[in-house]
Amino acid sequence: MSKHHDKSACSDVDLVGWAQKGDMTAFEELVGRHRDKIYARAYSMMRNEDEALDLSQEAWVKGWQRLVQFQGDSSFVTWMTRIVINLCLDQLRKHKRQRAESIEAMEEESGGVERHMPVITPNPTEGLERAELRVRIDRALGQLSHEHRTVLVLHEFEELEYKEIAKRMGCSIGTVMSRLFYARRRMASLLAALKREDSR
Amino acid sequence: MNHNLELKLQAWVDGELSPAEARGVGEALASDAEGNSFAAELRSVRAAMAGQEMPRSVPETRDFYWSKIARQIEREAPTPQAVHARPLAGWQRWLASAAGFAALACVLLLALKPFAPPTTFDEISATGEGMEAVTFHDQSAGMTVVWLQDPSQVEQPASDAMPAPDSEQGTVEME
Repeated sequence: MSKHHDKSACSDVDLVGWAQKGDMTAFEELVGRHRDKIYARAYSMMRNEDEALDLSQEAWVKGWQRLVQFQGDSSFVTWMTRIVINLCLDQLRKHKRQRAESIEAMEEESGGVERHMPVITPNPTEGLERAELRVRIDRALGQLSHEHRTVLVLHEFEELEYKEIAKRMGCSIGTVMSRLFYARRRMASLLAALKREDSR
Repeated sequence: MNHNLELKLQAWVDGELSPAEARGVGEALASDAEGNSFAAELRSVRAAMAGQEMPRSVPETRDFYWSKIARQIEREAPTPQAVHARPLAGWQRWLASAAGFAALACVLLLALKPFAPPTTFDEISATGEGMEAVTFHDQSAGMTVVWLQDPSQVEQPASDAMPAPDSEQGTVEME
């Protein structure tokens, strides 16, 4: 197929095949198609527009460089999402090294206030429209620590198992379980608070 | 409820337990109101978040966003294969050659050196924490002597004592 052919009607599989042979216009089309999703995932993890923009672009460059390794076991966008997640995790690790050990960080593993929170009933998201639910979840995610947010994104959005999350985050399965537990408790509490706020 | 049970409950909600463990948790929950409340809270958060990532658009035009990626690609790796077909750097080439020569020299040395077992062996003294061993072998006489001694068990009359100038264990010094 000619490089000048309109590629917007082509499938991802075809575009990837051409891009693997060095066709930059095919890769450009893939970037155009999936850039929002890759950026959104970077933003979910970093909660910072500039960092999300830089990391998402870096992910596309890495994607191009490693394109010959893509065998089609998953969809192209899933493969790209994993690349951007890994870059975000590296960046978060750098942040963590720079951050002084705070009381908040120490409380991550032991649960801090989440330990003593009452169970949230009824379900604070019951009856919400899909769009409203997304907004509330996003606001609540923005109030979580990096560690809690990351584990929730990887488990609830990326649907990774404990073992896979532990591997990616470089920690034990026990740590993942503990972080996920407290992250959910905190999330439930934040969603309940948002519900109370909105009903006033 | 202790934290381990809470985590087990969560693993149950997430479908991460074996069928046998999951059955056990399910049975335990039948008579545990607190456990049921926790499970309901975990489930509600899990269900609320599933697939609810906020959609976001790149805050740049498509062309501008792509132009930055394209520039970096041109700078770093114009073709996807370039990463794998990257030639060795100068020092890597030198190291590979040196390693090849060293391996060849080892093979030649081993091939040229005639196999000739030594006719005599030096004495060997091995001193462990509790036991001392001395061996002597003379090929021409066809004899090997092994001397084992526990220094703590030996009474040493001044005249028979083995010289032990450097060690409390009584190391034997041979000429």
